[in-house]
Amino acid sequence: MEERQYDLIFICRPDTPEADIDKVIATLESTATEKGAKIESVAKWGRKRMAYRVQKLHEGYFVYMVIKTTHGEVVKELERRLKVADPVIKYLTVRLDEELKRQEKLKRHRERRAARRPRKVAAAPAAPVAPTAPPTEQSAPTA
Amino acid sequence: MAEENAPQQQSHGPSSGGMRSSGPGAGPGGPGGGRPGGPAKRGKRNFVRKKKVCRFCVDKADFIDYKKAEILAPFIQERGKILPRRMTGTCSRHQRWLTVAIKRAQNIALLPFAAEL
Repeated sequence: MEERQYDLIFICRPDTPEADIDKVIATLESTATEKGAKIESVAKWGRKRMAYRVQKLHEGYFVYMVIKTTHGEVVKELERRLKVADPVIKYLTVRLDEELKRQEKLKRHRERRAARRPRKVAAAPAAPVAPTAPPTEQSAPTA
Repeated sequence: MAEENAPQQQSHGPSSGGMRSSGPGAGPGGPGGGRPGGPAKRGKRNFVRKKKVCRFCVDKADFIDYKKAEILAPFIQERGKILPRRMTGTCSRHQRWLTVAIKRAQNIALLPFAAEL
């Protein structure tokens, strides 16, 4: 199976100490590697205001990570861990590889078109040159 | 009504200012050329509407990131509703991507489902 890419975001209670958040990240990392997934990056967005109340809280500590794996069951396991983890109040996994592929495709398409366009512009001025040449020839015999 | 309209039209198109006295009679010749709308009937109300352009097409976006709430924010109402295309001018393709992005952002509390009380 081809490799898939997932975004995983989870929100912890704002009052959790940094050490506990690191612990959650560490457990996720270990389960992921155990199941053959690779964690590409982990970014702590820090304390942010949430758009709505979650468990009577207005703020949350956001953590964002990118996961690459060939088998999707890893996500199930990671989500189970997140559900069980105490400080986590909300999480979301999004599969992104298909969209990234599409983005890549569109980008390539655009670049190809951009590469083609200058040639067309170059050809256009060249064409009028040819029609203008005959009149000069015609004018020569009359004179 | 018609009398009301005439001055309005003049205020719309500054290019027609010079021919003010001639009013509706000047019609097709003078100020019509400056208007991109084309062969509008003179007597009727003439809205000069700025054409809305898809913001994502301008930016040449191949992907709308749900994580950037500040990009998505202008496309939702205060109470979290997604604005229709006719309001924002987004093209159909980007609107499709946009709705998905907004819904994802809502799920992770980056954007509101409904405004807070």
